[in-house]
Amino acid sequence: MNPCILEPLKERMHFDLIVIGMGLSGLMAAKTATEIGQKTLIIGKGMGSLCLFSNTIDVLGQLPNGIKMKDGLSHWIKDYPGHPYAKVGVEKIENALSSFLSLFPPPYPFQTIDHRNCLLPTGAGTFRPTYLIPITMVGGSLIKEGQTLFVGFKGFKDFYAQYVADQLKCRGVTLPLPNTSYEMTAIALSRLMEIKSFRENIGQEIKKHLRHETQVGFPAFLGLNHPIQVKENLEEMMGAQVFEIPILPPSIPGKRIFNRFKEWLIQKGVTFSLGSSVSKVITKGKRCEGIEVFHPPVTTSFFADRFILATGRFIGGGLRADREKVFEPICHLPVHQPRSREDWFEKNFFAGHSQPIHQAGILTDLSLRPVNERGDQILENVWISGTILANHHCIDEKSREGIEIATGYMAAKQASGIST
Amino acid sequence: MKMITEVLIIGGGATGVGIARDLSWRGIPSILIEKGDFASGASGRNHGLLHSGGRYAVTDPGAARECMAENRILRKIAPHCIEETDGLFVSLPEDGFDYRERFLRACDEVGIQTALLSRDETLELEPELDPNLLSAVKVPDGSIDPFVLILENARDAEEHGAKILLHTEMTSLILDGDKIKEVGAKDLGGGEEYTIKASYIVNATGAWANQFLKLAGLQIGMALSKGSMLITNQRLTHHVINRCRPPSDGDIVVPNHTVSILGTTSVRLEEVENFEVTPHEVSLLIQETSKLVPAIQEARLIRAYAGIRPLFQSETKEDDRAISRGFVLIDHGERDGIKNLITITGGKLVTYRLMAEKTSDLLCKKMGMHTPCSTHLKALPKANRPTGLTEKLKQFSFERVETLCDCELTSRKEVEEFLKTDKLKDLQDILHRTRLAKGSCQGGFCVYRLLGVLHDLRRINGNSNEFLKKFLEERWKGIRPILWGPAVKEEELMEGIYKGIFNL
Ligand SMILES: Cc1cc2nc3c(=O)[nH]c(=O)nc-3n(C[C@H](O)[C@H](O)[C@H](O)COP(=O)(O)OP(=O)(O)OC[C@H]3O[C@@H](n4cnc5c(N)ncnc54)[C@H](O)[C@@H]3O)c2cc1C
Repeated sequence: MNPCILEPLKERMHFDLIVIGMGLSGLMAAKTATEIGQKTLIIGKGMGSLCLFSNTIDVLGQLPNGIKMKDGLSHWIKDYPGHPYAKVGVEKIENALSSFLSLFPPPYPFQTIDHRNCLLPTGAGTFRPTYLIPITMVGGSLIKEGQTLFVGFKGFKDFYAQYVADQLKCRGVTLPLPNTSYEMTAIALSRLMEIKSFRENIGQEIKKHLRHETQVGFPAFLGLNHPIQVKENLEEMMGAQVFEIPILPPSIPGKRIFNRFKEWLIQKGVTFSLGSSVSKVITKGKRCEGIEVFHPPVTTSFFADRFILATGRFIGGGLRADREKVFEPICHLPVHQPRSREDWFEKNFFAGHSQPIHQAGILTDLSLRPVNERGDQILENVWISGTILANHHCIDEKSREGIEIATGYMAAKQASGIST
Repeated sequence: MKMITEVLIIGGGATGVGIARDLSWRGIPSILIEKGDFASGASGRNHGLLHSGGRYAVTDPGAARECMAENRILRKIAPHCIEETDGLFVSLPEDGFDYRERFLRACDEVGIQTALLSRDETLELEPELDPNLLSAVKVPDGSIDPFVLILENARDAEEHGAKILLHTEMTSLILDGDKIKEVGAKDLGGGEEYTIKASYIVNATGAWANQFLKLAGLQIGMALSKGSMLITNQRLTHHVINRCRPPSDGDIVVPNHTVSILGTTSVRLEEVENFEVTPHEVSLLIQETSKLVPAIQEARLIRAYAGIRPLFQSETKEDDRAISRGFVLIDHGERDGIKNLITITGGKLVTYRLMAEKTSDLLCKKMGMHTPCSTHLKALPKANRPTGLTEKLKQFSFERVETLCDCELTSRKEVEEFLKTDKLKDLQDILHRTRLAKGSCQGGFCVYRLLGVLHDLRRINGNSNEFLKKFLEERWKGIRPILWGPAVKEEELMEGIYKGIFNL
């Protein structure tokens, strides 16, 4: 056999910037860099936590009630100088959020309720604080006891109307799904909802159940591409306001965000490579020169002047843990972490504070370049963005999307040489 | 509420329900009270090994004989609870042949059938074993599902007149001279208090035996030892795998349906409640069992758990009463002058029926009755019905059903069936009686769904999030010690859902 045939085929391509990771942070970084005029490749193996957890845009849900986000952030940065937000600064966080918002003009805009956190109902019938909300969820911030009818569907097992209704002292109905097989996923239902006859069937059925309710709450699957059309059409038919409620993953609203970024980036000529797992980076001294993507049996190499690592935490694959330590598998950067496995998790799940392992992550300098515990720079042309960063508790803080957007934006600006 | 019965049994482990069944077939009325669900003590927290007796052949031939005899009986009366896997006692190079020779001789003496297999023969049977092994001895070990076994005993007992109260704790007793006059108990769900009068009282509380006896001012010489176990997300071997050396930490791997159970450790404890598996024990178990099955180093674990065994210091006074060193049967009339109290504890899951027989015999003797035991002859109610994964998969291919639990294929219908037949006292009961929450997500998704279904069916209406939080907290105990590798991803997902999306 000729060994040359077995030798992986090598292709060479060169970019200004390669963004590794296709979660919200990577997408935001790619968008920002593209706007500055960088020839960008964004590469990732999956859609990250965006399509699992993100429905709305959290910035800092844990702030006390009623505080303006801007004021809350200023205080936060003073109190937690090691937090990713402190590296970005209030002004740039706001710029980053504006940049995100500019991608979502009507009919599917995101908005705040008076620049403060607002409370939205969830699939467990709890309320949860969040900041930027898509227009399809705004109604949820207005619900009152007895005024809302919650609707679930037989055969859709990730939302239970009566569960939510019982917690929120409203009514719930569970309807059979017209002309469908027994078990349905949120993705399938979001597609079906975009079919007029399907949705009209449902609307008419719900109308029969409405008594004095002025609002109808649906699980968040009202269409992938035209949610507004679905919402308005249902409202017209039923004569009640419609809103969506965040449910178990996957998240349809998260997928809408992903699709919008993807559409924009591809339209702007960004090279978009989904489903590719970066197996290794090629470094020389303190510089990163390229990445390798292994698609058996082919290894493809891409080269660039600068890189952004936005691979997320454990789910995204940015961090991994063996029995001894947490490590970063692609660039082998040092990971700031608790001393031993015994210290990763508290004895209680609801410990009253975040599990210590969530503090773990990559340390950076003020420009988001990776450093070691002593503060020495490790790679000079790599920037880190998103939840892989150390020193935040995005789940408990309710800051996931805010951190992703702000640091993705900032990393791209820094990497493009724009540091103001 | 006041109740009167002939025999009051405290403890709904294998021993307690075994006694209820035995008595019911002899026509003796009984009430059993259990403070949790069935099997919430050691009976639900063991390896599920159907001992051949091999493990004890060298050190305790009496116990080994009992195991072998009961093993044969259980295969007949409870075939649906048993997987006939056989077991291998594997000798590794560092073990040498000394123990193996003693083992073979001892098995021979107590009547445990053995077959000596060469290295190649062993590896052909079990390719996952360490290829450096020297040899293996095959014995008739098996695996047994304790929960089904207990449920079936309980059902049969109830059908023959026994009364069983779950989630009911014995809280006090009143002594009158040389007898216990009555027992106070409390329904932990509804809060109702009972006083129960019985001619005889059986303390079948396992490791809690001394807590019970304390109420009567008594004590037996007993220490507590914790044993920890791990569950892998795959079945690693066909046979039960034992290490062929004197009993020690991490020397057994028991297959069970689609998973394997790795055991165990031995740690002295002071308290019978509030114990946990430490990361150190987890590391030790992996290190030791992977010497037998190297793949364990890379295996994905889905849960860690522990059980408590009572250990006895020999009391010369009672030695003649003890049927064997395997279990302890104490007539407190003879020992302490309390005529209507019996304690039965220790032993094995495998010998539960024998323990029940001996206890019931003693009761009959005290009552002056001569009705013989029949539980070794009578099969359990569902003995011929097939269960297991293949059956479930068959059901799936024929009809479309809504699966609440994707890892264990538990359908909504199964839960609805359960709700039709059983009274719902505690949500945990549903989890015990279905495969819900037993798979690799350990209930991360399906318990929320279960609550959803219960709301849908209007079976509950309160604040279910409190239950959800309690469940997640309980689940955490089994998960925290094994969080590394892909399990950390799963953990992040759970926190992302419950603390993130649902803001609990
Ligand atoms: C780590 C470990 C591994 C084991 N592996 C095996 C094995 O593989 N094979 C095997 O055959 N045996 C095994 N065993 C032994 C076996 O599990 C036990 O011998 C058997 O389950 C004992 O059953 P029991 O009914 O006597 O006790 P338990 O199952 O402990 O039952 C006692 C019950 O009493 C209840 N109770 C206590 N106090 C009160 C009260 N005041 N009021 C009401 N109820 C009360 C408890 O809730 C409990 O359910 C193992 C044991 C351990 C600890």
